[in-house]
Amino acid sequence: MGALSWIVVLPLVGFLVNGLAGNRLGKRFVSVVGCGLPIASFLIAAASVAALLANDSKPVIDVAFTWATFGRQSFEIAFYLDRLSAVMVLVVTGVGSLIHIYSTGYMHEDESYARFFAYLNLFLFFMLLLVLGRSMLVLFVGWEGVGLASYLLIGFWFEDPEKAAAGKKAFITNRIGDAGFLLGMFLVFFACGTLDMDRVNAIFAQGVPAGVTASVIGVLLFIGATGKSAQIPLHVWLPDAMAGPTPVSALIHAATMVTAGVYLVARMSGIFVHAEFASNLVATIGVLTAFFAASVALVQTDIKRVLAYSTISQLGFMFLAAGVGAYGVAIFHVVTHAFFKACLFLGAGSVIHAMSGEQDIRKMGALAKKIPVTFATFAVSTAAIAGLPPLSGFFSKDEILWFAYGSSFGGAPWLLLLASATALMTAFYMFRLLWLTFFGSPRMDEEVAHHIHESPWSMTGVLVVLALLAAFGGFFSIPHFLEPLLPLPLIRPEAQSFHGPLVWIATGLGVGGLLLAAYFYANDGERAARLKPKFERIHKLLSGKYYIDELYEAVLGRPLNWISEKVFLRIGDRFLIDGSLDGLAALAQRSAKGLARLQTGNLHLYTFLVLAGLVGALLWSWRNG
Amino acid sequence: MIESALGRLDDVLLLIFAAGALVGALLMIVLREPMRVATALISTMVFLGGIYGLLGVHFIAAFQVLIYVGAVMVFMVYVIMMLDPRDPAIQQPFSKMLVPGVVGFVLLIFVLVGATWKQAPAPLPGVAEGFGLQQFAVAFLRQYWLQFELTSVLLVAAIVAAVAVVKLHRRG
Amino acid sequence: MDKVQLLLSLAIALFSIGLLGVIVRRNLLVMLMCMELMLNGVNLSLVTFAHQMGEMVGAVLVFLIFVVATAEIAVAIPIVLLLVKRKHSLDLGAYMDLKG
Repeated sequence: MGALSWIVVLPLVGFLVNGLAGNRLGKRFVSVVGCGLPIASFLIAAASVAALLANDSKPVIDVAFTWATFGRQSFEIAFYLDRLSAVMVLVVTGVGSLIHIYSTGYMHEDESYARFFAYLNLFLFFMLLLVLGRSMLVLFVGWEGVGLASYLLIGFWFEDPEKAAAGKKAFITNRIGDAGFLLGMFLVFFACGTLDMDRVNAIFAQGVPAGVTASVIGVLLFIGATGKSAQIPLHVWLPDAMAGPTPVSALIHAATMVTAGVYLVARMSGIFVHAEFASNLVATIGVLTAFFAASVALVQTDIKRVLAYSTISQLGFMFLAAGVGAYGVAIFHVVTHAFFKACLFLGAGSVIHAMSGEQDIRKMGALAKKIPVTFATFAVSTAAIAGLPPLSGFFSKDEILWFAYGSSFGGAPWLLLLASATALMTAFYMFRLLWLTFFGSPRMDEEVAHHIHESPWSMTGVLVVLALLAAFGGFFSIPHFLEPLLPLPLIRPEAQSFHGPLVWIATGLGVGGLLLAAYFYANDGERAARLKPKFERIHKLLSGKYYIDELYEAVLGRPLNWISEKVFLRIGDRFLIDGSLDGLAALAQRSAKGLARLQTGNLHLYTFLVLAGLVGALLWSWRNG
Repeated sequence: MIESALGRLDDVLLLIFAAGALVGALLMIVLREPMRVATALISTMVFLGGIYGLLGVHFIAAFQVLIYVGAVMVFMVYVIMMLDPRDPAIQQPFSKMLVPGVVGFVLLIFVLVGATWKQAPAPLPGVAEGFGLQQFAVAFLRQYWLQFELTSVLLVAAIVAAVAVVKLHRRG
Repeated sequence: MDKVQLLLSLAIALFSIGLLGVIVRRNLLVMLMCMELMLNGVNLSLVTFAHQMGEMVGAVLVFLIFVVATAEIAVAIPIVLLLVKRKHSLDLGAYMDLKG
């Protein structure tokens, strides 16, 4: 078994051990196994990547076993390491291990400790299948598996029906996207005869195969990505997913799972470069999602919800980049986003931990001095997401804005406009969050205030590491690193000169957001509160998340329920199925009763029947000679 | 000439005996009282015996009268005498299946007689003599000895059954 | 119509009348006697065939039927007696216990 297979299998072992025996073997054992194995995976991954680079970046293929063979087609479980999957695997195992360590502190009091780590390891296993898989089939197994793990972890405290419902919502919404993904896979297989992604890209590099349109495949695959990466219209599950424990939100719904859609588009870039319509669609949906999610985040009052909408918005940015052909830039933003968003979520977890479970930012305030490490790391990450130089977010966001405007593969001014407005809103609502949470006067209960304390080193240590990465991670230029594999698009000639000014504009947006937020939300947001009555209607619209959930319920939920109840239950199940079974039984009964009338006990009748039979037989034999 | 006259006498007698048997049978199902029915049956059996005699198997005719009339019908008559004449079965002699029964009967006759008359049987191969008792007895001892022994077993079974019934009767 | 046809038709008639009697009459004893009539009809047909084919087998069979009929009556009548002792009636309508 090659190194790549080990990377994937170790978390699976962790899942089995912790899942089956964890409860009996104590929290320390669970922690060691649950964190140790992902760390081991990370180390092996690092070594593999080093070997890859030393070997002139020739892709490493590791075939685990052959899954099925039909005639001349065979489907193998194989792993593929090239520069793109190298980036992804390091992020997944690295950030994943850090979050595992954080969880030992955060989930320490929970009685289902072993189950938590088992599910986390299971998630890691599936995510690694996803990023290291060579064939779309293996990727899809990982895709579905992370959806399953997400469901299990969102509904981790399943005794609360609301939390369980959130898990269900995530899974079902994902599945709708998966239908599109499957159709896309079928088309790819039909066109290329294989699902191995490197071979598919090579085939498409020679030109689109006959019988398929690249755009159709692109759209279908993007539908899958929409479900997994929470873009419009399938974004509704991500805010509800905050019902899960905070490390889950950090790992799955910020750093890794939700980026699977972006990874898919980047990986299948060979198809998307031929698919102009699909790419335009990706960019459009990406920027629209970014804009709308940011607008909703402006008025959220739950600390995790702000971050959830922020994630949706940042994912929109990534798809914007992918839609204009800058796949390497999209991946760059995936990496920087993983750093600062994980740090933000874990920081939020630390705040919630300090506040004895409170999540409403209106009830926080003046925490900066009381939980200084959390504050410092949170502030650094906020600055990163706002795009303040020289933090990592600045570099990745700047590249996205540049290519949104200047790419010859769909770049346009209106994309830049919306993206810039979104960037401004991002900075604004993130600093709003920072101010309301950490500055101002303490707005919490006496009881809660008394218990405020900094988190243990298992948690703050991870925060520090992530904050450092968020700060300095931008200096390693991933787009350049990936360029041999994912070439950057050409720039439109008329846009060439705009690059310099754009850097200043991007910085201005970040700083502007900071200043605006400071102005409105200093002193517990009194100026913002004064402004609120004037914007009552917009505020309601944004608070209600544009009423999309209600729309879905009315348009989809209620009709489906009606059909299920009236058609399938009443007619299909009760009338047809039960009716036919009961009918069969009734038929048997009635025919038996009818036949029983032959048994009268009357010997004369019996003898007459003998006579009748005799006559019949004789007539028949007479007729037939 | 006497032989042709005798031959015709044979035929006439045959017709008379056949008619008599038929009438007796018909009376059986029409008469009301069991005693009269028994008498009709006895007459039919005797006529049949006569027919057997005309066919040359005199010992069979003898057995017919001896066994059937002499043993079986006498037994029946004893039992009829033992049982109560005021039985409701005598009041309404016919069952509910009268009409369907008659219809079936007509059909049966029709089919069977039609079948025999369609395939006219081959003419007699000139054995108007019939069989003799001696031949008959020898056949029983030579070819059909097994059946002979089995009938004795059957009769023993019948005796045992009769004895059992007597015991039951006495106990009741 | 020659002898054999006549006798066979008579045998058929006797058999059918006997069967009809079993169906039509209500008295148990009369039904028994009709069954005897059926046996006689069969006997007649056997004798006719024996006469026609010249085989001894027919006569032997007839004799055997005599024996069997006798044994049968010997057992049937006591059964009837016992039944009548139970139900005090010779009417077949009283013996419908096996209904349903």
